[in-house]
Amino acid sequence: MKNYFLLLACFFVLNNFSSFAQNTNTIDAKDLFGDLRARHIGPALMSGRINDLETHPKNSRIIYAGAAGGGVWKSNDAGTTFNPIFDKYAQSIGAIAIDPNDPDNTVYVGTGETWTRNSVSIGDGLYRTKDGGNSWEKLGFDKSERIANIIINPNNSSEIYVAVLGALWSDSDERGVYKSTDGGVSWTKTLYVNSKTGCSDLVIDPKNPNVLYASMWEFRRTAWSFESGGEQSALYKSIDSGKTWNKIHNGFPNGKLGRLGVAIAPSNSNILYTVIEAEEDLRKGLYRSDDAGESWKQLNNDFEITVRPFYFSRIVVDPKNPEVVVKGGLSGSISRDGGKTFKNLGNMHSDIHDVVFDIHDSDRMYVATDGGVYRSWNGGTTMEIVENLPVSQFYQISLDDAEPYNIYGGLQDNGSWYGPSSSEGGINAKDWNAIGGGDGFRVLKHPTKNIIYSEMQGAENVWRYDVDNKLVKTIQPLPLEGYAKLRFNWNAPMAVSNFKPDRIYIGSQFLHKSDDKGDTWKIISPDLTTNDKTKQEQENSGGLSMDNSGAENHTTIFTIAESPLDENIVWVGTDDGNVQVTTDGGKTWTNTVANIVGLPKNTWTYHIEASSHDKSTAYAVFEGHAHGDMNPYVFKTKDLGKSWTNIITAEVTGFARNIQEDFVNPDLLFLGTEFGLYITLDGGKSWSKFTNNMPSVAVHFIDLHPKTNDLVLATHGRGVIIIDDISPLREISPETLNETLHFFTSKPKVMVDQSGFSDSFGSETEFVGNNPSTSAQIKYLLPKRHTFGKMTMEIQDLEGNKLTTIDPGKSKGINIVNWNFTIKQPKVAKGKTFSFGGFTSPRVKEGKYKAVIVKGKDTFEHVFEVIYDKRAGLTETDRAFKYKITMKMYDMTQQLAYLVYELDATQEAVKTNKKLYASFENLKKTLVVTTGDNYVGSAEPQLREKMSDLYSKIANSYDKPSNAELDYLKLIENRFEKAKTDFEKLKEKAKVKIPLKTFDDFVNE
Amino acid sequence: MKTFKTLFIGLFLIVSASTFAQTADEIISNYFENTGGLEKWQNLKGIKMSAKINQGGMEIPLEIIQLTGGKQMTVITFQGKEIKQGVFDGTTLWSTNFMTQKAEKSDQESTDNLKLDANDFPDSFLGYKEKGYTVELVGKETIDGAETFKVKLVKEPITIDGKKEDNVTYYFFDTENYVPIAIQSEIKSGPMKGQTSEIKLSDYQEVDGFYFPFTMIQGLKGQAGQPLTLDKIELNPTIDNALFLFPEETSSSKN
Repeated sequence: MKNYFLLLACFFVLNNFSSFAQNTNTIDAKDLFGDLRARHIGPALMSGRINDLETHPKNSRIIYAGAAGGGVWKSNDAGTTFNPIFDKYAQSIGAIAIDPNDPDNTVYVGTGETWTRNSVSIGDGLYRTKDGGNSWEKLGFDKSERIANIIINPNNSSEIYVAVLGALWSDSDERGVYKSTDGGVSWTKTLYVNSKTGCSDLVIDPKNPNVLYASMWEFRRTAWSFESGGEQSALYKSIDSGKTWNKIHNGFPNGKLGRLGVAIAPSNSNILYTVIEAEEDLRKGLYRSDDAGESWKQLNNDFEITVRPFYFSRIVVDPKNPEVVVKGGLSGSISRDGGKTFKNLGNMHSDIHDVVFDIHDSDRMYVATDGGVYRSWNGGTTMEIVENLPVSQFYQISLDDAEPYNIYGGLQDNGSWYGPSSSEGGINAKDWNAIGGGDGFRVLKHPTKNIIYSEMQGAENVWRYDVDNKLVKTIQPLPLEGYAKLRFNWNAPMAVSNFKPDRIYIGSQFLHKSDDKGDTWKIISPDLTTNDKTKQEQENSGGLSMDNSGAENHTTIFTIAESPLDENIVWVGTDDGNVQVTTDGGKTWTNTVANIVGLPKNTWTYHIEASSHDKSTAYAVFEGHAHGDMNPYVFKTKDLGKSWTNIITAEVTGFARNIQEDFVNPDLLFLGTEFGLYITLDGGKSWSKFTNNMPSVAVHFIDLHPKTNDLVLATHGRGVIIIDDISPLREISPETLNETLHFFTSKPKVMVDQSGFSDSFGSETEFVGNNPSTSAQIKYLLPKRHTFGKMTMEIQDLEGNKLTTIDPGKSKGINIVNWNFTIKQPKVAKGKTFSFGGFTSPRVKEGKYKAVIVKGKDTFEHVFEVIYDKRAGLTETDRAFKYKITMKMYDMTQQLAYLVYELDATQEAVKTNKKLYASFENLKKTLVVTTGDNYVGSAEPQLREKMSDLYSKIANSYDKPSNAELDYLKLIENRFEKAKTDFEKLKEKAKVKIPLKTFDDFVNE
Repeated sequence: MKTFKTLFIGLFLIVSASTFAQTADEIISNYFENTGGLEKWQNLKGIKMSAKINQGGMEIPLEIIQLTGGKQMTVITFQGKEIKQGVFDGTTLWSTNFMTQKAEKSDQESTDNLKLDANDFPDSFLGYKEKGYTVELVGKETIDGAETFKVKLVKEPITIDGKKEDNVTYYFFDTENYVPIAIQSEIKSGPMKGQTSEIKLSDYQEVDGFYFPFTMIQGLKGQAGQPLTLDKIELNPTIDNALFLFPEETSSSKN
């Protein structure tokens, strides 16, 4: 064994040496994150946008949901609860399809949301699992950006059709209808129109799979406009498995068409429905064909049918009844007369994107909305929300300095909220507080007062909320004499000052500053944007259906960063690509973007991070996805923008939106991209993707808590995600990686006394976010996973006495071991049932302790400190007294255990003497319970139960022992003394000498 | 031990020299060779593990017994009282009820599902072909920073709430020494249904020529788990058969 370890040791050294010899400047952190894990706290109460729903064709328990930004979720209980099954891959989902011939195992996922709102994310292709979601393979379509449908021929699983809607912001020829006849190995484009027109809907005739219908849509978005429709939008039919396609427009409106949805009645293949966005207002709406597309009749052009076609064009026909049709919409609507008339679906979150019927019972429906998945049991009249889909889409978050700290943030179509980073029993729906309506963005806590600022889209309202007095006031800057009309971004920037607590900044095209919490505003800049008039014509946006929601407002300020080191240095970034800085509190401004080499012109300045280490240093994050440029751009300046250096490497995928600098180690940076979180330990020379419980979700904003060192992520699809205490990352270096085991420094850990009451109502089906650990954490770095041989950890006092053993982590990289400050529970006397008080492990005293790891023949020691919770209000004397009494009772409990052990043995030895045996039995009955069970059949408590319950009461209290407790203790002590005397007397009578374990052996066995 | 050492050196050289295509079969065969040899594994009749778990500061000693034919039990000792969990005599699966401390049978579906594993001692992979199982090398994956081969094991389908479901487990064999360091499977029933359970294995140590993992951390994939640390492993223990039998009649006089 020894030799084996030597060999391993040699191997480590060689291995490490070679990996660092290659390049001493960079640190590959990929495998080093170890026990550093993402903690998801939701919230799920408002859930998030769902793009697509699918049912298993044979098992009504199984439902899949594809989220707009939160991945693929599978339910095994008919939509009561869901689990994520696609976390490694792009989280924006366009379509899910289940192979009808292998529905338990084979599932396809087309990435990229297809409801093309301004904030829509992107996908990166088509995936397939053949093992029910455990592993996925990529089937190409890397540049497809968004996939609208996937269809598997029900008679032949090798024949697959994919509808690629394609790029939203740029030309692309990866669009149209694709077909594979070899199970996805190779693909042929069977329907293609041009580089601006994609396939927005595709259906197959289930009774005759040679027949397909495809709707083609001409569309384009820019950062400042949207255009739906054109000469190329059309509905096509193929009767030869996609070889040839013909337009089927008999009865269609004249002129340009926009987005069309199409559906076939599964119970009657001749009946088709299509919803048409048209140039002619009167001819928009729902059309029906009763002859498989030969001719069409207009049925309806109600609001719900025609509203926002780019967002709602899904039509679903009841699988059993061709006359029952559901249309997505603002509220969603259902027709039971073949599409002639509709009524709205029941109350639920607005913006309905998809509906599926249960395979057995059409009264049961599932609905995809901007606020999650809803279920109905009565044909869509009453809707109930799925409570455990944490797919909330945050744009922004901020933190406060409360304990535990709160997270504030705004969401797509779901207002603004704040909630705690930990809560009794976990973080659940009722922990979250609404703090703004509409779409939510920045939510900022006043640094010193109990006031919260929040906003809705385009700063239409900026709210100042006095939390204590429940007073709401709107404070957005208003039009000013002598200034142009104010232009606010949909996601308008606000910032609170690090220097003046009442100071806030808001950006339109100007920078607005208020020193009185928003009552008075002063413009402190000229127009900082390009003020390009061609990008300001939002009233013409939308194409065939006007859509001037404010979402396309452009040439605006998008990010504001006041230097944490100098209140006169303020950075401003604009959505049209300027990077402006003032060093004199706004008197003069310099646009520094021209100094950046390698950045395409007018690339959106998404975030500027002013360094907390040096006031001339800043980071700027740019993203050009709205120009079709999906590359990440991050630059660093050390001279207030005179020169900039690129800090992005090829390891980073997805366009980037945010960066966070560490407060201690300037080379430690965190980067949020459209496909997840990246970390560098060397100032950007190399980046590693963080994947420990972290999905490949779009990270829109990152903050670092200065006290807890928690990294908090605003994800646009998986809610708030926290990585607790990232401080170990600060110490990873080539030097620490060369140690056999490196302990990370630890701050004194408070033994928290605070507690409260938690209930679990609803937690059966509701999402509950995990709390952070409150234990002492011993953290260390291993250069390699420990797999062979023994590795143990003890907690010892400084004299080397063992207090407890804990299983140490064995992972390569960062290991985190929790110790909850306790020693082993006392040994309790054996009775008929359990003495529940005896399950209490007492806490140690405040002070320094040692973690001692033995790994092979090496021993490693780390001294750390635990301290009392000051909030309990106990003096040192109180603490000492409490500890003394607790341990006295701990010892007493063990002494009683030994007495009962001795009694049992002695009694056994005098079994033949019935009278004496009975005397022992009578004594025993007063010491421990000898009858009953652990529930309602429990016996009257005896000395053991009373003693251990009082021990537990005192040990578990935050307070010093009360007089009542001390009086009771006296009583128990007296009874124990009497028991000892009685036992001694009986022992004398018994006159037997029996071999007994020593007390120490007994309690440690 | 000596064989293992030589073998390990051999492997080390081969692996560093070139990476060659592996099959699931080769990985499993290497695993048995590196942990005692196939023949020794085939002759193993039983195993008794003494272990500890630490739950919120409370140390709980337990004993796990597994024998050929699927007989098994876990005995937990609380305050001197024994609580038996997951006792299976080859026919009946039962546990002690915590409240009444009396034996209760498990539901028939769970018993039937466990019965399918009766031929799995000491290892599901031992004679897997004869048992009708299939294995497949799915690819490589990094677990705890270590490179592993991901091997999929498919056993007989099990029945869950009246419906047949596939019985799939993924084993992650360390590419350096071919021992599994993680096992993952989908949780099939209960409130966690649909989530993935994960067991991490480490501290492989020698016991009479075999190598066994002495630490097992059980939990949900991606989250911190609950460690089970073995103090001792006894091979081919003598266990009274009666201990596995369901006590049909329990009277209050019995403990």
